[in-house]
Amino acid sequence: MKNEDYDKLVKDVIKEESHIKNFFIAFFSGGFLGLFGEVLSEWFIKMFSVSVNDSYLYVSIVMVVVASVLTGLGFFDKILSLFKCGFIVPSTGFANSLTSAALDVREEGFIKGIGANIFKLAGSIILYGIVFGIIFGFIRGIIL
Amino acid sequence: MTYFFKNVYINDKFSLLASSEKEPIVKKYTDKFVDSYYLEEKSIELAEGEYQNITITGLLNKNKLTQKDISLLVNSDLQNQILASSLSASKYSVPMLGIYSACASFVEGLIIASNFISNKSQNIVVTVSGHNLVSEKQFRFPIEYGAVRKMVNSFTATGSVSTLVSNKKSNIKIESATIGNVITTDHKDANDMGSCMAPAAAEVINRHLIETNRESNYYDVILTGDLGVYGTEIMKKYYENISNKKLKNVVDAGSIFYKEDTIYAGASGPACLPLILFDYILKQNKYKKILVCATGALHSSVSCNLGEAMPGVAHVISLEVL
Repeated sequence: MKNEDYDKLVKDVIKEESHIKNFFIAFFSGGFLGLFGEVLSEWFIKMFSVSVNDSYLYVSIVMVVVASVLTGLGFFDKILSLFKCGFIVPSTGFANSLTSAALDVREEGFIKGIGANIFKLAGSIILYGIVFGIIFGFIRGIIL
Repeated sequence: MTYFFKNVYINDKFSLLASSEKEPIVKKYTDKFVDSYYLEEKSIELAEGEYQNITITGLLNKNKLTQKDISLLVNSDLQNQILASSLSASKYSVPMLGIYSACASFVEGLIIASNFISNKSQNIVVTVSGHNLVSEKQFRFPIEYGAVRKMVNSFTATGSVSTLVSNKKSNIKIESATIGNVITTDHKDANDMGSCMAPAAAEVINRHLIETNRESNYYDVILTGDLGVYGTEIMKKYYENISNKKLKNVVDAGSIFYKEDTIYAGASGPACLPLILFDYILKQNKYKKILVCATGALHSSVSCNLGEAMPGVAHVISLEVL
């Protein structure tokens, strides 16, 4: 059987999954997380009278810590499979990728295990975040 | 080429199911059931080696054999450099052959053992194991990482099975075997292993039936390894395409492994097929001639990152229940 014919056979049997449902779940769960962040930020401003910018920083810290702790306790992957990309795209997903990678290798030592593997998934986000930050920083500097 | 064996029998087996996650149908029937991914070991890799130890020791005790009675241990698992197999073999003073054909390892082991036994009478133990978390870590994402799973994903079965093969007569006879070619199509999606293995399975079943001059209904059941719900469908269509005949009596071990039906394509892993074969199909006592086709996807995370197509392999062995 030719490769093209086989591809057609596979596509006949395995129907493309619909992304619409996941899209709506992510839209609402992500929105809910955003709302929660906003409420938390308002609370920080009122309770501790911090500036608006500082309160956002504290909100991210809270989200990262909560996501990491829940990952460590073993529920966060189940929460993510319910709420999909709504929780994966924000910093909660980033925290989950770091903690889960570190958890996998915790018995292999601090240097060769955790140190070498913790950025296995998040490394690309950090590297290309910095690279494109520099590039767009230059562009902004030249144009403005 | 198909090999015929005269006096090769499966004397006994010892099966271990090590996780009740998603409710495996064999849970009540295995020789031993523990619900632990760790078994008090410090890592999951070591725990998988311990699974093999439990089944090998269990098999020896069940048959009142000592290590001296075993001339060869053939074992396999899915870890890098088949670590679990080496760890468990190091606990016994028995010569060991470590093999790897991913999920097709069980039948590969039986074929190797059968050939040795045809030449010289001896007792050989064939052991395979699978560990859900080890496979997740090895081939997919970190265990606790919340990646969105696709419908074609499979869920690796956790456990181990050891079988005792010799030329002492028993009720399960190994009649013949056909070793499969590695078949690579354009398929590249590592989530979907069924589509990678289906052509290999169809080709080797076809070749076995031609070389033995049999029709597919000669067998009461054709038990495939872990093609999954979609892979089985593709395999049947592929077989129809290459041979113009229909395969009707196919049962896929991966598809029936879990009771919970939200488990995407089904189960996978080297332990999935022997668990279903010994603790489900053979316990029903209604099949006399069984064609076992174990299928394996021979990709690695490196080959996937390089963008290479996934190679698939399948081996078949024909069993007769006396």
